[in-house]
Amino acid sequence: MAVDFEPKILAFCCNWCTYTGADLAGQSRMKYPENVRVVRVPCSGRVNPQFILRAFRRGADGVLVCGCHPGDCHYATGNYFTRRRFMLMRELLEFNGVDPGRFHARWISGSEAAKFRDTVSEVTRTVKALGPNERFQEASGEES
Amino acid sequence: MTNGQKQQLIRDRAAALLADGAVSCIVGWRQTRFAGKTAVCFVRAPEDATLLVWNEYTIPLTAKYLADERWTGGKAGILARGCDSKAINRLLRDNQLEREKLYIVGLPCEGKADERCRPCRQKTPLVYDELLWEEDSAADGGGTSAADADAPGRGRFFRADEVSALGIDARYDYWEDVYARCIRCYACRNACPVCSCRECYVDMHRAGFQSKRQNAADNRVFGVTRAFHVGDRCIECGECERVCPMGLPILGQTQKVIQTAEALAGAPYEAGLNAEDENFLGKFDLDDKDAFM
Ligand code: SF4
Ligand code: SF4
Repeated sequence: MAVDFEPKILAFCCNWCTYTGADLAGQSRMKYPENVRVVRVPCSGRVNPQFILRAFRRGADGVLVCGCHPGDCHYATGNYFTRRRFMLMRELLEFNGVDPGRFHARWISGSEAAKFRDTVSEVTRTVKALGPNERFQEASGEES
Repeated sequence: MTNGQKQQLIRDRAAALLADGAVSCIVGWRQTRFAGKTAVCFVRAPEDATLLVWNEYTIPLTAKYLADERWTGGKAGILARGCDSKAINRLLRDNQLEREKLYIVGLPCEGKADERCRPCRQKTPLVYDELLWEEDSAADGGGTSAADADAPGRGRFFRADEVSALGIDARYDYWEDVYARCIRCYACRNACPVCSCRECYVDMHRAGFQSKRQNAADNRVFGVTRAFHVGDRCIECGECERVCPMGLPILGQTQKVIQTAEALAGAPYEAGLNAEDENFLGKFDLDDKDAFM
């Protein structure tokens, strides 16, 4: 199982920075793992912590939240709220038995295509090593 | 002063306020059919003031019930202990109540027959129009003494500490056991004084935020969402856990949120101390801790 395991990773990317950065990575023909599914959000501040819980519930093996560097938010302060929220959320997840390696957040600007590639590769490696996520799943393996 | 004397003071004062027309109701406690259990009641006529009780079992929060009284005419009179006053502050801060429509009768508490009252540090109300008696500092109603606060499992975050002491897999199992037994009655939500939305996301089943299905995984999503949603406004009253019909130890979730907020801010944090302060997640500092670079 572990040998063939390809994790599903959900990445919430801010439209104004990381999403553009991911675009640039593509245009620059950078290679990064296909495991990542990008969801474009207007701001990292749009990411409700419940999105993370739902992602795990619906079968994600890892979740990544990406936004603009503090100080660079298109809406001036959105990512400062994001930072507080997810610094708290990752503690609460760990408290609930979710391995910290399954939840990541990063600041990636529109020009940091290489950072996007490296982050996605690193997250994929970490989650792969952890194996399939069985937490927040039904013991009977029911689909929701 | 004995509880019996305090109870008489409450009844006399409630009857007088109602007779004067100063308030349209008094929100207080009455005895239920079960020994050791009281319930919140609304007294609307002076002659009914004799229904009101005060003893070590007058535990439920009165404040949450004000949310149902907010649009009625006249002033609502409320019997409030320290915890109720923190709840009132939070409801005022969230624009769920108007101060002018409240008449708060403050009752310094001696601590009640409930382990969740033990760490309480706010026996005297923070906001009131009158106090019926002074806090008796000699009365030991099970409050946390300095020595107690350091004893494992007895401090302010006693439930969270219990879970944090476990390894990550054991923590998962701890919550698996809790959420496998949860029946999703939402009593924890309904009793919570800071959970004041008229329409809750858990009821909007067609929007798909929260599966209606009742199993450990979906219950867990509900439990963690609830904790995150109210955690930074939680006044640490313990009502959520107290009303849970399955007796689930869920208080650790919100305690963990408060504990983490304190650790991240590097400063003491407590919700409901006044009606002005923004909650932890509703504000930020430019130099907040950051592990996401
Ligand atoms: S009160 Fe208890 S059983 Fe009911 S929804 Fe809350 S945790 Fe579940
Ligand atoms: S979460 Fe529980 S302890 Fe906190 S305010 Fe709500 S009912 Fe009280």
